[in-house]
Amino acid sequence: MFLLALGITNLAMLGWLAAAAIPVVIHLLSRRRYREMPWAAVEHLLAALRASRRRIRFEQWLLLVVRMLIVVLIVLAVAEPHGRGGGFLSAPAGARTHRVIVLDGSYSMAFKPGETSRFDQAKALARRIVEDSPRGDAFSLVLMTEPARAVVAAPALEPGELLREIDNLALPDTSADLAGALARVEEILAAARREQPGLDRAEVYFLTDLCRVGWTAEPDSAAGRAVRDRAGRIAQQAALVVIDLGQAEAENRAVASVQTDRAPATVGETVTIHAVLRNFGRQDRPGQDVELLVDERRAAHKTLDLPADASRTVVFSHRFDAPGPHLVEIRLAADALDVDNHRWLALEVKDDIRALVVDGRPSGRAIEGAAGYLAVALAPSADRKTGPAIQPEVVPESALVERDLGRYDAVFLADVAQFTAGEARLLDNFVRGGGGLAIFLGPRVLADRYRRELGGKDGLLPAELGAVVERPGGRLDPLGYRHPIVRPFRGQERAGLLTTPVDKYVKLDVPAGSDATVVLATSSGDPLVVERPWGLGRVVLVATSADRSWTPMPLWPSYVPLVQEILAFAIGGRQAAENVLVGQAIAGEAPGAGPVSIRTPRGKNETIQPSQEGLTAVWRFSDTTASGPYVARFETPTVSNQLRAVNVDTVESDLTKLNESALRGEVWPGAPLAYQTTWTDSPTTRPATIARRSSLARPLLYAVLALLVIETLLARRFGRAGAEANSNDQVSMTKE
Amino acid sequence: MATDAKYLDPAVLAKLQGLALRARRIVEGYVAGAHRSPFKGFSIEFAEHREYAPGDDLRYLDWKVFGRTDKYYLKQFEEETNLICYLLLDVSQSMTYQSAGAPMSKLDYARCLTAALAYLVLHQQDSVGLVTFDNETRAMVRPRGNPSHLGDLVQVMERTAAERKTATGAIFHDLAERFRRRGIVVIASDLFDDVQTMMAGLEHFRHRRHEVVLLHVLDPAEVDFPFQETTLFRGLESMPDVLVEPRSLRRAYLKEMEAFVRRLKRGCRMHQIDYVPMRTDRPVDVALSAYLSARR
Repeated sequence: MFLLALGITNLAMLGWLAAAAIPVVIHLLSRRRYREMPWAAVEHLLAALRASRRRIRFEQWLLLVVRMLIVVLIVLAVAEPHGRGGGFLSAPAGARTHRVIVLDGSYSMAFKPGETSRFDQAKALARRIVEDSPRGDAFSLVLMTEPARAVVAAPALEPGELLREIDNLALPDTSADLAGALARVEEILAAARREQPGLDRAEVYFLTDLCRVGWTAEPDSAAGRAVRDRAGRIAQQAALVVIDLGQAEAENRAVASVQTDRAPATVGETVTIHAVLRNFGRQDRPGQDVELLVDERRAAHKTLDLPADASRTVVFSHRFDAPGPHLVEIRLAADALDVDNHRWLALEVKDDIRALVVDGRPSGRAIEGAAGYLAVALAPSADRKTGPAIQPEVVPESALVERDLGRYDAVFLADVAQFTAGEARLLDNFVRGGGGLAIFLGPRVLADRYRRELGGKDGLLPAELGAVVERPGGRLDPLGYRHPIVRPFRGQERAGLLTTPVDKYVKLDVPAGSDATVVLATSSGDPLVVERPWGLGRVVLVATSADRSWTPMPLWPSYVPLVQEILAFAIGGRQAAENVLVGQAIAGEAPGAGPVSIRTPRGKNETIQPSQEGLTAVWRFSDTTASGPYVARFETPTVSNQLRAVNVDTVESDLTKLNESALRGEVWPGAPLAYQTTWTDSPTTRPATIARRSSLARPLLYAVLALLVIETLLARRFGRAGAEANSNDQVSMTKE
Repeated sequence: MATDAKYLDPAVLAKLQGLALRARRIVEGYVAGAHRSPFKGFSIEFAEHREYAPGDDLRYLDWKVFGRTDKYYLKQFEEETNLICYLLLDVSQSMTYQSAGAPMSKLDYARCLTAALAYLVLHQQDSVGLVTFDNETRAMVRPRGNPSHLGDLVQVMERTAAERKTATGAIFHDLAERFRRRGIVVIASDLFDDVQTMMAGLEHFRHRRHEVVLLHVLDPAEVDFPFQETTLFRGLESMPDVLVEPRSLRRAYLKEMEAFVRRLKRGCRMHQIDYVPMRTDRPVDVALSAYLSARR
């Protein structure tokens, strides 16, 4: 029964129990190592041996047992056994407790069921836990955000210090990282055991709304198992108290996404803005007001019904009259959780979109050469009301190094035979900085030169170039129209995408584990269009030619929209990088090497220094715990701004919570756990169910100390005492 | 002379010069003028015959008896009335033991003692004889009184190699029979033998009215047992080897030795024998002076 009440923290240490054999081995070895000498009084020696054989054997066994026990107890002490439950293993009255307070820092804690938010309630409870604790207790504080943060890791003995930290806590707009929080708690408990042995027991308090998305992971996934294992280990080391601040019937609505049909937009172009709204509650919400704000001014307004547990899309149209960065915001009527009722979009508006088209087979006449059709497809109309203003500039491949690529939004390569290392480096920098690159192949392409300069592990090519395939036949496969490039063709059979004839193409091989995506495939399954992100930009690789040399596609109705979509997607990389989720870093190309001032949504200004990445100066800012617009301001070479939008991950907007039985069953199966809905320090409510933990390491070490003293005394008495005896013990050699 | 000097260190013997060896009780024979003697004359009166034993002086062989009986008999005379001292030296193998802390072996120490005593006795015109023994009599030198006799004694002491066991009881009985004239029997030995048998032999000397002095020569290690490390004690005199952890055995060993010495002392007290313990780490002169002073 006693052993059942024990737990071992470092189970692997028990292997060292074999070291208990060391005293036996030393004893046996010492029997093998002896000196020799002749002796006359052997008869007396034998008589003495006969008389004391039993006593000597007893003494030797006793010493051996004591020495083995010393080794065993040291190993046990290092293995850190601890007792649970009542009985003598419980910490005595007056024992000092290490209280680890874990505050749920997910944005669902901003939910206001009444006057105050869940987070404010949690802070108040944390204060009471600290204030109600007896003097001598120590405290640590963990904020369960994404990533989890140990606000006070080392046990604070001064309550005032912890109360100040609690008061200063601000709720970020992140999700909850349960695995990270448990990892921090385990680290804190281990460090406290090492560095604060005077703390007799530990208690961990979770102040949380128990939102299911934050507290559960896929049970069979590695992450789920890791969370359960870590939770189990913590339950062995500390008493657990979960104080549930959630409400089972909490209602919430959120703006789930905002996006435009194309980015960057151009001045005068009518841009369509799609916003997805979701009702996470169980009640229908008719007549919901939705506003479109552009640059913080109301630009449009709509009303729609939001059924229970459903999503609806609302579409706005807007024409931008001035170039530069613009902030688009979709705002939903306020509810108890306001942080997800806004969503922002940073949108760059340009005078026109500039595309550099590099012709690998230039010709003196229009529509000839490798890039003729491509240039036409890029700018089919000059009407600004119907489409973006795109300015293609066709140049021969020799001109690639002469152009300042920073002036262009996209670069199209049409049947370019090969690249120099310098050209490859220019293209690499261009795409890393956010530019779009579209590569059309053709008869002049030297596959091995592509592989050498643009391919491989460090190259930007999304696929390796193989042999040329001829006359494949069959229809193209849009792969379910999942990719944004082909998505507009869904239901547009007359556009002829699927019937586009391709006579020849280069067989593309997408490496396993690559971040490349196949956009369009041939009937045989070979990729025809492949794309990948590269730095802040995107690369699109088309396996066939841009002119008629390998395909009559330029004459097909699908050609112009396909080229337009390739352009829109390729130059959309920068837009994607400008709109991220809370916790993800924002970055951009700095116009100069001077410092960058970042203004956060909460009005704070922080200054950072850009770093050099290749030929480009890049600024990067990672403290994006608040949702909203971030403005990067540059003073050099001229005053300019860059806009970034950071939005919440709306998985946390689902306020469905775990109940007590689910918590016990899914997170801490079988572990003793105190579930409460508020904090009381009354002995009747406090920890009948809390397993007390008392480390036995210290008593064991005391026992080792006592045994060392006993061993010394016994050894002195049994051995050395005989050798150091005074003359009274010697044979009396006085004359008779 | 070199051999003499080995045992008769002048410095040692100088301290003994003034000390006369005197009997506590009346013994047969005193130096003329110094002792009262119940006997007259000097080696003149025939007393009895005794069977020849190796080492006996051939001058006293009775050729007439040999002519009649074909057997060797010695003529025994009523000898001079001088003090006769019989020195018995144990030359058994156990006497060769010498511990690291001792300046000499027990045998060498006993040789020093007996040589010093012989010198003293001869110096006061008395007679001294020598017997070396282990489990049998190894050599025997009849008592003489002339000063050159010392060289003979020392030569015999030197010559005898120690390689056998001790068996004192039978030897003492035999010698008690041989020592016809009463005198002082001085035995130098470690006495590692059966105490009862040994005491029976000593009692025989007393029965023949000899005064007996027992010089119990022990090495300091045999008295203190100072060993620390595990030791294999290789038994001398055909005793077995013993592997022991000395620190744990010391108390029992000392107790055992104490009992052995106590038995010796009790036996000596009972038979009025002088028991004189001698440690080989104690200077010979100091030990001997102390004893002789006490005798006075």
